[in-house]
Amino acid sequence: MADPRPRTVEFRGRPLALPAGATLLAGLAERGLPQFQRSVRYHRPRAPFCGVGHCSQCLVRVNGVPNVRACRYEPAPGDRITTENAWPSPRWDLLGALDLVFGRGLDSLHGFRRPVWAMPLYHRVIRRLAGYGAPPTADPAPIAPPREIRTDAIVVGAGPAGRAAAARIRAAGRATLLVDRSPVTAPPADVGLLAGVTAAFLPPPGRDGEFRLAATRGREGMILRAPRVLLAPGGYDANLLFPGNDRPGVMTAEGAMALLDRRGNPPFRRALLVGGGARAMEMVDRFGAHVEAVVAPTQVHGTIAERAAELDIPVFPRTLLTAAHGRSRVRSALLRRRGGGETTRLSVDAIVLAHRRLPHVPLFFQVGARMEWRGSTGAYYPVLDDALATSVPGLFTAGESAGFVAPASAEASGIAAAEALLDRPARLADLPPRTAGEGPHELEGYYRELLAGRTGRGKLVACACEDVLLGEIDAAHRAGYRGIEVIKRYTSLGTGLCQGRYCVPDALLLLAQLESRPPSEVGFLTQRPPVLPTPLDAWASLPDEADPEAGP
Amino acid sequence: MSPGGDRREFRVAIVGAGIIGLFTAHHLARAGFGPIVVLDRGFLSNGASGRNGGGVRQQWETPETIRLARESVAAYRRFGAEFGYNIWFRQGGYLFLATDALELQGLDRIYAAVRAEGLGIRKLAPEEIPALVPGIRSEGVAGGTYLRQDGTLYPFPAIWALYESVRRAGVEVRLGTGVTGVLRSGDRVTGVTTDPGGELRAEWVVNAAGGWSGDLARRAGLEVANVATRHEILATEPLKRFLDPMVVRLRDGLYFSQTMRGEIVGGLTVRHPPGTGHGVPTSIRFLREMSRALTGLLPRLGPLGILRAWSGFYDDTPDGLPVIGEEERLRGFVEANGFGGHGFMLAPAASRRIAAVLLGERSDLDPARFGPGRFALPGRDHAPERVQLG
Repeated sequence: MADPRPRTVEFRGRPLALPAGATLLAGLAERGLPQFQRSVRYHRPRAPFCGVGHCSQCLVRVNGVPNVRACRYEPAPGDRITTENAWPSPRWDLLGALDLVFGRGLDSLHGFRRPVWAMPLYHRVIRRLAGYGAPPTADPAPIAPPREIRTDAIVVGAGPAGRAAAARIRAAGRATLLVDRSPVTAPPADVGLLAGVTAAFLPPPGRDGEFRLAATRGREGMILRAPRVLLAPGGYDANLLFPGNDRPGVMTAEGAMALLDRRGNPPFRRALLVGGGARAMEMVDRFGAHVEAVVAPTQVHGTIAERAAELDIPVFPRTLLTAAHGRSRVRSALLRRRGGGETTRLSVDAIVLAHRRLPHVPLFFQVGARMEWRGSTGAYYPVLDDALATSVPGLFTAGESAGFVAPASAEASGIAAAEALLDRPARLADLPPRTAGEGPHELEGYYRELLAGRTGRGKLVACACEDVLLGEIDAAHRAGYRGIEVIKRYTSLGTGLCQGRYCVPDALLLLAQLESRPPSEVGFLTQRPPVLPTPLDAWASLPDEADPEAGP
Repeated sequence: MSPGGDRREFRVAIVGAGIIGLFTAHHLARAGFGPIVVLDRGFLSNGASGRNGGGVRQQWETPETIRLARESVAAYRRFGAEFGYNIWFRQGGYLFLATDALELQGLDRIYAAVRAEGLGIRKLAPEEIPALVPGIRSEGVAGGTYLRQDGTLYPFPAIWALYESVRRAGVEVRLGTGVTGVLRSGDRVTGVTTDPGGELRAEWVVNAAGGWSGDLARRAGLEVANVATRHEILATEPLKRFLDPMVVRLRDGLYFSQTMRGEIVGGLTVRHPPGTGHGVPTSIRFLREMSRALTGLLPRLGPLGILRAWSGFYDDTPDGLPVIGEEERLRGFVEANGFGGHGFMLAPAASRRIAAVLLGERSDLDPARFGPGRFALPGRDHAPERVQLG
């Protein structure tokens, strides 16, 4: 068992005792909502957002290594932890003046071009402002020797679907490896477990029909080889665009869960909960006493309305979130009924996003699986045939990434996909209906109204990692640029640390409005490996000859 | 950005809306030579012009290339003021690294050639290098050359700027329009067929199709020596500024620089089996070899995350020099390709020479060195450009 005693670390130069077994983020959340850094262009105050190691809003420097995510880091005694990209501190950052000086945005595409002799000066200043952390200052310890593991089947994701699948495959006598990037405990019996391991890159299988999955654990890299792979990477809570959407205190439901203290209390007292479906219901149940109101850009499910009424929580269906105010912490939110209704101002100290779940699909794109747009969630999913096979021979999928979200149906899909992987009969038709269906996305109408009613006051950050404003997307559109691939290159949207997870899905819906065509025609971003930023050292430590011969 | 208007007759059809095609259109339009159409099968910046590392250097072995590069550096310095888009051209220098005595001889040749053109290139002893590359491991570094006026730029805005500029000048740019064939009458080109669109008439066809230019020439019935080779590249998480120059190692073609945004962007030469088509996948092998090379030279970068990797095509020629000129075998068909990964860095100057071919102006490029027919010439004895890296 882990050492239960508190760990004393040095945080920003002072000793600090943190609870054992907690991430740095959760440990610090005991003292209120932590703030680790400022945003990259405007030095806007930022606080943890996603809680699952994707976004760029809880980066710290640990023992000289920059860009460590506090939400994924369990501190060790004696760690030296500092904050970066803010001076003198994330809460009081002198460079925050940039946000005011460039109140309407900083145009790095057209600005700072003249006079030619001044360019080196611009370069010096801007290069000092850019980036997150300073480079590492010391050479790290040597890395582990190369590792390669062969098995009969690899299952990625240890949620309900992945666990059920791994257990079923193992029960059929096949050696099975379950991979999950979180610290998982108690895998199904006899299933090999690689916990804390990121499945980083899955190229198409080679001529020999074998998959090679490049995976990393910290600075250690490994190649996992198997003729069959089942992907059940699950999903995540999406972002929502509204003016002030990057304010500290705006977070996803997963972000709120990552910030719970030891007694299970969230770092807010009066949260505005966004969403009207099953995920929002979970959050009402979890945080009921701390929820000020429920607001949904679309309809609110009847069960939530009932539950909220029991708890005396007001509910605002079909309502736009038109602003979040408060500089270093959300203080209030403005709501407006859709279709030009009245405006309500609510005093809140957090905005929790639980309106939309999205599947994790980068691995499917990497491996070359055929994908289809499903309008009701506004996301791409792997195409499945009636026998639950993807378009890549030997590749199977289950759970949220296959469109089965509720735990029970995810589990059922895991068992069925395992049967398919074992070459036994399995039928898509026998499974519960998938949540992801046809039709336009509910948020398309929300974004139409948001675009139409924009007042131009305050910044709406469309891509938080790179501080790309909604106005920049608008400008690119007005200049004649079309399609997500070009808009990405024009604005830098989607090129930051979250690799587009929290900006591209909304940008697709926005561009669909601007370009007057369905989101699926706006395109998708080519998935650039790796799935998550993973250390150079881990890649350097991979065994030789890991690449398959090119397929037929 | 749609396939565009319905005009079917042009004076010039330029195939490829990359940096070479757009810059050539710019020079032609400015000379009043038109009407011009630029055709591209993909979206803007889909090819190598949107996939390169942004290096612009003047360190070469052949004097002609040094002169083209020097002119291009001057043009990129003025680019922002002239075209309205900031390409963030930053003269942080290029540092070439040699690993052994043989490679030092190679650097000596570069040094002599660049000196002869009057540029301030310096030779660096191993102990001078850490001042330019903090944290570099000096074991295995035998020496280097450094030219402070070399630099890096951000490729995308250059493409936007030229796209908008040529359109303002009346050039039609049809994106998503692939060229499926070349029309001829005897030994004279008369146009192209496109998909979608059908036939377009043109007196001149400029082959600026980058990695696809060999395909296009062959479709026109021409035997050419161009070979498309896939190259891979990656970017790391952004860091605060610590590295000014582009660093290039001769031994393995490792190159890397730090962008304005703080990312380390770089690649190295990994040979892929030929015939893998025009897909642009990333390989585990590249990620491994690149990570080993980079952390071998700069161990402290080891914990830094790879943010993304991608790949693109070099349009290589046997002698490492571009192909610029009208095909004698097919009049009106102008080759503007074979830049082998150096199209962006040479484009401003090279595109002037390409435009000069159509305008009937004298060019300072020797056809025996740059012309399309040169690979068929017997007894070619001129020096190839051996500096193929970075």
